[in-house]
Amino acid sequence: MTATKACDSASTAPESSANDNIQPFYLLHKASTPRNSGRKSAAARTIDLSPSKPSSSTTTTNPQFDPHKAFQSVWSRIDSAIKDVLRDVNTNVFNEIHSWVRQSFLAVTSSGVPTFAEATKSFPILNHATSKQLFTGLVLIKNMEFVDDLLTFEELGLFLKSHACHVANLSSLDLSTKNGVGGCLRSLLRQFLTVTLDAVDISILASWYREYGNPNSPVIIIVEDMERCSRSVLSDFILMLSEWVVKIPMILIMGVTTLDAPKTVLPSHVLQQLCPSKFTLGSPAERMDAVVEAALVRWCSGFSIGHKVAVFLRNYFLNHDGTLASFIRALKIACAQHFSIEPLSSVLGLLAEEDSEDERVLALSSGMAAQIDSNLASCLTELKRSQKCWGIVVMCLYKAGKYSKVQLLDLLCEALDPDIYKSIASDTRTRSGKGFEISSSSNHSMAQQYLRKDGPISQAIEKVRDLPASPLSQLLKSWENLTVDILEINVKVKELQPMIKLEEGKSLKQDFTDLAKRHTSRTAANIKESKTINEKAATLLANLVRDFMRPIECIPFHEIACFKDVEKLQSALTGDPRRRIQVDLLEFHEFLRCKCCSRSCNIPLQSMPDTSIMYTLAQEHGDLINLHDWFQSFKTIVMNPSSKCRRKGKQSSFPKKRKETNEHENKSESSLQARLCRAVTELQITGLIRMPSKRRPDFVQRVAFGL
Amino acid sequence: MEINEGDDDEFGFSRNYFLAKELGGSAKKSTRKLSDIDLVDEQELRIAAANIEPKHEKEIDELMSSYKTLYPRWVFELRCGFGLLMYGFGSKKALIEDFASTALTEYSVIVINGYLQSINIKQVLIALAELVWNQLRTKRKNPSGNLSTGQQPFNSRSMDDLLAFLDEPQAEENDGFICIVVHNIDGPGLRDSETQQILARLASCSRIRIVASIDHVNATLLWDKKMVHTQFNWCWYHVPTFAAYKVEGMFFPLILANGNTGQGAKTAALVLLSLTPNAQSVFRVLAEYQLSHPDEEGMPVENLYTTCRERFLASSQVTLNSHLIEFKDHELVKTRRHSDGQDCLYIPLTAEALEKLLLEIS
Repeated sequence: MTATKACDSASTAPESSANDNIQPFYLLHKASTPRNSGRKSAAARTIDLSPSKPSSSTTTTNPQFDPHKAFQSVWSRIDSAIKDVLRDVNTNVFNEIHSWVRQSFLAVTSSGVPTFAEATKSFPILNHATSKQLFTGLVLIKNMEFVDDLLTFEELGLFLKSHACHVANLSSLDLSTKNGVGGCLRSLLRQFLTVTLDAVDISILASWYREYGNPNSPVIIIVEDMERCSRSVLSDFILMLSEWVVKIPMILIMGVTTLDAPKTVLPSHVLQQLCPSKFTLGSPAERMDAVVEAALVRWCSGFSIGHKVAVFLRNYFLNHDGTLASFIRALKIACAQHFSIEPLSSVLGLLAEEDSEDERVLALSSGMAAQIDSNLASCLTELKRSQKCWGIVVMCLYKAGKYSKVQLLDLLCEALDPDIYKSIASDTRTRSGKGFEISSSSNHSMAQQYLRKDGPISQAIEKVRDLPASPLSQLLKSWENLTVDILEINVKVKELQPMIKLEEGKSLKQDFTDLAKRHTSRTAANIKESKTINEKAATLLANLVRDFMRPIECIPFHEIACFKDVEKLQSALTGDPRRRIQVDLLEFHEFLRCKCCSRSCNIPLQSMPDTSIMYTLAQEHGDLINLHDWFQSFKTIVMNPSSKCRRKGKQSSFPKKRKETNEHENKSESSLQARLCRAVTELQITGLIRMPSKRRPDFVQRVAFGL
Repeated sequence: MEINEGDDDEFGFSRNYFLAKELGGSAKKSTRKLSDIDLVDEQELRIAAANIEPKHEKEIDELMSSYKTLYPRWVFELRCGFGLLMYGFGSKKALIEDFASTALTEYSVIVINGYLQSINIKQVLIALAELVWNQLRTKRKNPSGNLSTGQQPFNSRSMDDLLAFLDEPQAEENDGFICIVVHNIDGPGLRDSETQQILARLASCSRIRIVASIDHVNATLLWDKKMVHTQFNWCWYHVPTFAAYKVEGMFFPLILANGNTGQGAKTAALVLLSLTPNAQSVFRVLAEYQLSHPDEEGMPVENLYTTCRERFLASSQVTLNSHLIEFKDHELVKTRRHSDGQDCLYIPLTAEALEKLLLEIS
């Protein structure tokens, strides 16, 4: 069937819906309104959740009030922040790879450039054996899953392209047995020549390189997931490349999860052609910290998550699949749900825009304040300020916690917990009578007693106490940089700086005087002094936690920015079809809410849907269900409405001899059998049973056991 | 805590499995046969199946309309770039189509019926590309839109080209997408991994959004992490409808009509009646032998030939072979190797069915 046919049939769709059911595909309808006119107002009408007056003037002058636009602007900020940090994590490796590429290119071309005729001949003439060596970069992925590194390799490609290389990315899909070497070549030519050819040959690539390629640029081929490629295809591909490497300066880059992967995947004669170098990408934990910092701690977008959501995200990351991609996806879903649920959230879109203009402006601009209620505006300003402080304190904690390997995600979960903060705050108020006052003399353990003993926050504070002088000074410096925007904190940190300098000077002198006996030569006073500095730093940190780390859920109007609905997020993120479909069948009453079946307690009733009856009955069987028995018990239930009580508890599938009232006799046998057939088909569609095999024609097989 | 719960689940699951196995093994397995039931004719069964009176119609209608409140959220999430995946018991065809035709009127919608056996995914791509191209053409009437009209027609392009065309970044608006509704993305016609890969790539195209439904409990096994996290980008929705799988179940064999004795015998009878009387008699010889020697693997070819010669049914090995080929083509007769090495012929039907069959052709 052709596409036009499908479209034709769709034009008469409403009448011929029965016909549509058996079409493989059809056009349901075309876009109704012309898209280039009135687009925005139409969009605002469909999902008008925003409380703003939907007059045409607001929609045009202030598109940010549309929740979708707000989502776009907020998510694009989060997304670009994440991409930036991931790129930063990889910068060093990328630079390393680039310089290696340059060296290899020189090595390849050093043996002289063949003439055009030579280079495009279909059979390569080899000068000497070593020229067949193919320079290969093995990029070690510190993650079992490739999904997190797809972006990395894409970025690597772009990076090398921007450094004047010809780059093509291949994946294991291109290097599959089905596609063969021809498939890889086709994909290569597609990417370099931007045409699709039916007859592919590598000589085409050679002539393309001679004619259009930059003679100073190497041709780089990136294979993302080497271990998933077909062995034979990859071997053939590498052999082919190595034969042509004299004519086309090709360099191969492959992503691997273990360094001995080439040895296990490739045969030895192929391995001989490779001249490997190794590079290592950043670890998942490192990237995770960077992503959390960019997306959640630095309040870059205005979007934030509640404590429960953070805990859920952490557990999801740790228990579900441990990939960054799934974490980011979860965050995106949370973000989208926030904007679709929370009517005031579209204000965040404005906040995000505001931010991009000037990072440091903490107050809302007058223009924006005019658009929203002034009360709300002041609350937002407060929210923004408080979030900024919170983020800074969390970062300070993280910098300290790094020394004891605290993960930012764990820290975040604790820092977002409103209960801890509430107990600290109420305690402070009763003791000092004032809510906000930094007093370095106050007891440091006061704040800490509410924190979990081994929690990441107390760990971080403890660590500060034990830190040697030079890391401590580095830490204080990093604190100073972090807090530069918030004067109150910055001053406190700066107070500590001179002391540490003094301390540093002393220890340096000691280092010079007697390096070997440094520890023993330290005087008790010295140690004591340095301890007091540590103590002061720890107290400062504890005070910061007490005074500035207000979790977002403790701030009025946090609902605008903060997403808290864990259940919604969880259900959208991971369906659990295996369990849920069985529950649907067994507890259908929860959904249908009919009166007739409400009394049932796991006992099949006549009024229940046939498939539910059948599945409930199937629970009594083992892994094989005798069709005959199944049919008989189904028949008993359907024919005998009052059997419920008497049959209770008995699982006998044989119908008892009982005087049947004749009123149901008119239900013909055929309709009964048809109902059973339908129910079995439905169970088969859901995959809960398997049809009888040739060997056991009277039994169906149960597939799912338990919920 | 959660890890422990997970363990418990795991434990419960395996325990259930072994309990079920045990139940099947220890309790004397019921030996009752389907043929003990007085099965009705398939024709009659199909008619009856078409006329089953639905239960809980009112409640199902209410349930369906209760999902209408979710429509704005679904549209919002589609616009945000997610795909929607509907699951839960009951046919979701009507629900999704209602959603598409009421809430997605601004977007073109193409429906793929995944429950059908054969779907040519490339045809779908071509249709999509044509649709996009027509939309672009009507939108940009001004000559500045540089659509290369001299390009190949879509139906001669490769899959990669089509996907690349659909994935072209949209110039002015990033909201003009085409929605693909896939009923039963886990259906038999789409279940192979290659089609799923193409669907995943399709789903990641900038101009495409997918709304799909799954019914199989293990549907998620179709996708790897790359597909789930970066391509399909599903938002799951549990929307049980309890509506009958009328269309979806259309092509499933009825369990009481297929594979049982009556059916096999009936088709065999139809075939045999169309053959010559001689051929029928050869078949009868074979059948009678099988009925009288129920424990043997089958009738050796030599035996059959001698018997047929005796009864003047076949004059030579060649004529007998022509009959046998006919039987084998219609799967009336199969061969298997006897324990002493010679080839045996047998009829793949049960004894009862065979008796019935002999009665019918006599």
